[in-house]
Amino acid sequence: MSNSTFSSPAFAKRLAQRHAAERRFKLIGLGAIVISLAFLALLLVIMMRNGLGGLNWNFLSGSDSTDPHIAGIWSAAKGSILTMLVTLLLSFPMGVLAAIYLEEFAPRSRWIELVEVSINNLAAVPSIIFGLLGLAVFINTFNMPRSSPLVGGLTLALMTMPVIVISGRNAIKAVPPSIRDAALAVGASKVQAVFHHVLPLALPGILTGTIIGMARALGETAPLLMIGMRAFIVTPPDGITAPSSVLPMQIFLWSDEIDKAFVQNTSAAIIVLLVFLLVMNGLAIYLRNKFEVRW
Amino acid sequence: MTETKLTARNVDVFYGPKKAIDNVSIDIDNGIVTAFIGPSGCGKSTFLRSLNRMNDTIAGARVTGEILLDGEDIYAPSMDPVALRARVGMVFQKPNPFPKSIYENIAYGPRIHGLASSKAEMDAIIESSLTKAGLWDEVKDRLSDAGTALSGGQQQRLCIARAIAVSPEVILMDEPCSALDPIATAKIEELIDELKENYAIVIVTHSMQQAARVSQRTAFFHLGNLVEYGETSEIFTNPREEKTKDYITGRYG
Repeated sequence: MSNSTFSSPAFAKRLAQRHAAERRFKLIGLGAIVISLAFLALLLVIMMRNGLGGLNWNFLSGSDSTDPHIAGIWSAAKGSILTMLVTLLLSFPMGVLAAIYLEEFAPRSRWIELVEVSINNLAAVPSIIFGLLGLAVFINTFNMPRSSPLVGGLTLALMTMPVIVISGRNAIKAVPPSIRDAALAVGASKVQAVFHHVLPLALPGILTGTIIGMARALGETAPLLMIGMRAFIVTPPDGITAPSSVLPMQIFLWSDEIDKAFVQNTSAAIIVLLVFLLVMNGLAIYLRNKFEVRW
Repeated sequence: MTETKLTARNVDVFYGPKKAIDNVSIDIDNGIVTAFIGPSGCGKSTFLRSLNRMNDTIAGARVTGEILLDGEDIYAPSMDPVALRARVGMVFQKPNPFPKSIYENIAYGPRIHGLASSKAEMDAIIESSLTKAGLWDEVKDRLSDAGTALSGGQQQRLCIARAIAVSPEVILMDEPCSALDPIATAKIEELIDELKENYAIVIVTHSMQQAARVSQRTAFFHLGNLVEYGETSEIFTNPREEKTKDYITGRYG
């Protein structure tokens, strides 16, 4: 009976259709990857062709100038480094602590639900709004120095924190409850169970979210326009309160120049930004693998 | 010969509005194994988890009535659940070693409670705990290996060793063998039998044969009620209640 079912022509036809569907899906999936990678490759080729010639020591160590042959990237790069440091130092601990509290300690109540919805919404707010907020709060109310990495970092931290909270909560949620039970059952307190056992296991996931958030912050231009980081900076900032620019802002400013020679500068700056991004991601992936626990 | 270790008086356990345990009163003695049996969802695990306040971690869980450990109310405001769980240890259904080394798995409890003041003392605790759990000979040469790399039965014995390491007075076991093969199960049962000298052991089990093999007293739960409680030999040969008889003869469950 069953033998005849599986050797009938109708079954053979269905089987052939199923295999065809399988092949179709693989082809479509491959196509999706090839198309997106092709655009990345195109972008890289264009940037390399336009920009590689402009990458030399003077460019890497110089500061902005009205003369495209003297203009360099270091002041903007240093501004980006300082801004990212401020962002990371604020958003990482705050984001992780908020994620832990919401996931492990917060009582289930209307208030907490409201907080959760707010954080999810915060992650979706257009970045220019954060710029306006930074302008109104940090510069106008707290009188912090305009155009500085401090204010830039604070503003970007507001943007990055929700991303870290959301990914952090997911990572914490993914730690099996049996680990919490195990810790509590030998007499660990709640805080000990979380910090000794849950957090180390969630850390790789939290770091992944942090990479995504930081990469977004690194490329962000709009909110920094609002807080005056588009200033013309001819000396690298010597601290987080000094006037400064950042890499994407420098790219934006140069792309706006009339002088054709700035095209090379723009492309070279984009290469620097991409390398910056790669280094940051590489570091994060290294850290993630280091903390990863094999079961 | 035995003395009462844990006493429950008129205990109700609620999950939100739902009553999971209804008016249970029971005395659990030192030095013997007490088994909780009953069909799925009868509340035996719920009741077990209320004995060391693991239910505290479940949102909406509420316990009323009195549970006394050596005459002390474990739900009194003066009772610290952290200290309580050091005295009333627990082994879970699925082996849940920490994803750390075998050594670290055992050392964690004694370390947070400050039970060892030197490396040598800690080493002694590790050895004696693993020995009592019947695992020492199998793992003594690879204490730095991951606890999660052991076989299922070894993992469960590691979890028992971890519970023993903080010198508890009571060990609660929530279906400790349900994820194990028959040989590993036999080893755990043998272990339970040896351990009962020094601890009050409460074991929840789905297997009536297991209850009959390892326990001296058996409590039969049904729909949140404690139907019958007595000597294991009595319960299995001569149950007083019709429901108990139906369950142990396989009429339902």
